[in-house]
Amino acid sequence: MWQNQKAFRKTIYLLGPKKKMDVLIIGTIRGSLYSLIAVGFVLIFSVGGILNLAHGTYYMLGAYLTFIFYHLVLHSGAGGTLVLSMVLAVASVAALACLVYYLLLRKKIESLIYTMVMTLALALFVSEIMSLLFGVSGSSVPSLIEGHLVISGVKIISHQLILLPIAALILPGLWIFLKKTKMGQSIDAVSQHRTGALLMGVSVEKATLVTSGLSSGLAALAGALIAPVSAVVPEMWLFPLIKAFAIAILGGMGSLTGSIIASFLLGYAEVLTSFLISEQLTEMISLVVIVFVLIFKPAGIMGYKSS
Amino acid sequence: MSLLEVHHLSKAFGGLQALRDIHFTVNPGEMLGIIGPNGAGKTTLFNILSGFYVPDSGAVLLDGQDIRGKKPYQIVNLGLTRTWQLVKPSLGMTVMEAVTVPSFSSRAREQSSTNPGQRNNIRSILARIGLGDKLGEEVDNLTQSELRLLDICRAMMTHPRILLLDEPFSGLSHKESVNVSQMILELNARELTVVIIEHRLKELMKLIKKVMVIHFGEKIAEGSPTEVVQNPQVIQAYLGERRPGVGMA
Amino acid sequence: MGKLKNLPFNLSQQSPLGLMILVALGAFPLFSRNLLYVEILKVAALYAIFAMSWDILTGYTHEVNFGFAFFVGGAGYMSGALNSFLSFSPALCISLSALAAGLSGVLIGYLTLRLKGPYFSMATLAFAGILYKLAFIFYKFTGGEEGLSGLHSLTPSPITDFYLIWAITVVAYFWLIFYARSKHGIILKAIRADEDVAQSSGINTAYYKVEAFALSGFLAGIGGAVFSHAQMNVGPTMLSGALSVLVVLLAMIGGMGTIVGPLAGAIFLSILNEALRVVEAYRIVIYTGLLIVFIYLAPEGFMNLAFVKRTPWLKRFLLGKEGSHEPS
Repeated sequence: MWQNQKAFRKTIYLLGPKKKMDVLIIGTIRGSLYSLIAVGFVLIFSVGGILNLAHGTYYMLGAYLTFIFYHLVLHSGAGGTLVLSMVLAVASVAALACLVYYLLLRKKIESLIYTMVMTLALALFVSEIMSLLFGVSGSSVPSLIEGHLVISGVKIISHQLILLPIAALILPGLWIFLKKTKMGQSIDAVSQHRTGALLMGVSVEKATLVTSGLSSGLAALAGALIAPVSAVVPEMWLFPLIKAFAIAILGGMGSLTGSIIASFLLGYAEVLTSFLISEQLTEMISLVVIVFVLIFKPAGIMGYKSS
Repeated sequence: MSLLEVHHLSKAFGGLQALRDIHFTVNPGEMLGIIGPNGAGKTTLFNILSGFYVPDSGAVLLDGQDIRGKKPYQIVNLGLTRTWQLVKPSLGMTVMEAVTVPSFSSRAREQSSTNPGQRNNIRSILARIGLGDKLGEEVDNLTQSELRLLDICRAMMTHPRILLLDEPFSGLSHKESVNVSQMILELNARELTVVIIEHRLKELMKLIKKVMVIHFGEKIAEGSPTEVVQNPQVIQAYLGERRPGVGMA
Repeated sequence: MGKLKNLPFNLSQQSPLGLMILVALGAFPLFSRNLLYVEILKVAALYAIFAMSWDILTGYTHEVNFGFAFFVGGAGYMSGALNSFLSFSPALCISLSALAAGLSGVLIGYLTLRLKGPYFSMATLAFAGILYKLAFIFYKFTGGEEGLSGLHSLTPSPITDFYLIWAITVVAYFWLIFYARSKHGIILKAIRADEDVAQSSGINTAYYKVEAFALSGFLAGIGGAVFSHAQMNVGPTMLSGALSVLVVLLAMIGGMGTIVGPLAGAIFLSILNEALRVVEAYRIVIYTGLLIVFIYLAPEGFMNLAFVKRTPWLKRFLLGKEGSHEPS
């Protein structure tokens, strides 16, 4: 994308000032959303060696559980319903992910085939359950902030803006956790060299357990935050997963910074495509990215870990 | 006319110079030993010769033909085969299947169609090496030393003109080593050229007449075993101060 | 040539279970004219074709193909389109579509040569996803959400339809068994074990990987094209991720790398799926849940359980006897 500077500048020029603002804001919002999802995906892969095909499902559950808890909490009359529901949703998903790791994945984690197929089967299973419980049409949750804002002549749904400060808080927070806390450091160690960390006395299983919770929690948070403003449907697990993978290989499967940058790249690319070409093609981008990067640059672009 | 010629071969990995300006020649029917401390670059050399790595510079001529850049399977089909230092077991197959694979190579098929006497080779080679009763066994069930014997067998099934053995004796019992040595001598008598990397000098020195020493990626000595053993550089780098009993006994 | 030793059909070395399933399938319409059951078995047989052709690639190389719907749906749509827009006969449509699927197998196989593990799998998933999206973008040719309907059926009667499909299943089964036991299968197993070692045995591994991909695609294409004419319509579900995953699960639960396993897995699980219609509302959920339980209990499939391998008579019954592999 960045290689063809001239064409890029030309397309931006075509957009006009109002649209440029649109792209910038919406792209940034999207990038923030994607970074929350992708970072967890990369983390669990580099720490647990698990290509978690249920990652999109955790995102989906974040949304659905927010909906469920919202209605439960509402009836109980407790205050701060929406925020409380979101917190509960994230916590439940994290707990679920830990259970999945502990009960289903842990013993056979060496077999990549098994973890891929099992997590994919789980994704399908949960999707069918949601279909059964809620049907194929969307479920709705009220927004944290109602209404919309107009920034520089661009109409933005206010609720979406929340993603920006949250991402801005969480991502550095994650970095601090990994670099400064003991658990974080052991997770970091495992992600860099499993056997090495094992030999140093790090409990790889514990690190993987915590990472499962952490990574799924991030995905669920993204889902919870997006729930009020997007379609909460049983298929909503597939494309976030695909995008997470596209971002991961674009940014490097072992690199968190790389995935954050790639998240924003993808976000901007999607918005640009939907403005300049067509809405329909946006979903294709991540797929095409996967095919192109893997086939033409299998060693990875920015990451240092290719396998 | 030499069978294998290596000129000015160099290879670096990142900042580490694994091989520097390596050159040597192997004539048909010769047996060359390569020794050197761990990490000296010997296996890297084999990886380059067999096509798994591409050298940064230098030439590798097999029978006068430059084989740099050729894929490993192509090099095997030109007559150069290697064995593996780190045993890579063919899990999920039987011994019979594992040893049959090389016979599907284009070289093996040519050889056996021009030499009808080569049929039934598998059974006899397996028997000769000591795995005769393991034909139907799953490779998963073999011991380390059996796996190594299997690998040597596999290599021989490619009907090589020149065989690169990477630490063939490692993990073998004394009896097995003697047996393998015998086999190598027999094959050499039937014009198989052999290059052997080995740490177990006793076994090695009994087999070969020419030895090359590699240290930190450079060739520091070449000659007969007795010459090399007396070379001060070699002693210092590898053998330590004392002189091991490497006579022809 | 020693190759001829494998050619003559050696009944005693075939898997008794496999033979029994095929015979039972074929005999069923003779004992029961219940069209509903015949229909169920028809679909089961088609899934068996899918599962077996998936297995010849993934079971024998251990690179997991998650984009199988590419071949099934791709061929299904192509066959449907040729039939709908150009009025080609189903036979012609199916042949052309299968050929196209085989060729795309060559292409995708070639493109994914250097990919391993998760990267291979996600690439195959991506290819299928792209085709899925394209089906919606080019809705004029594919009928979009509704797909293409009113396709010509294969034969005038459902029973002959069934026998046609059964015949294809039988042919596919023996073709794949033969292939798997031939040098092609052994080489794939060697590549599965360690590609470097296979290379160092003089084998052009790239060729055999692409060949397996092509065969897998070709047979899947036949199945997919036949499927669309059997149902007389083709829709986006044939290109969906759900189909890909289902095929993976059916084959894996049966037993990867055995051909018989996927046959048995597909047939029995499809029947199970139908049997669950008594609880229609929960059927899909229960079915998927069961599949998860099965995968957990037998990660490599029931045919590959250690227990089976240790019990000679069971192993013989399920898997048959491998022929001796003397070289020529």
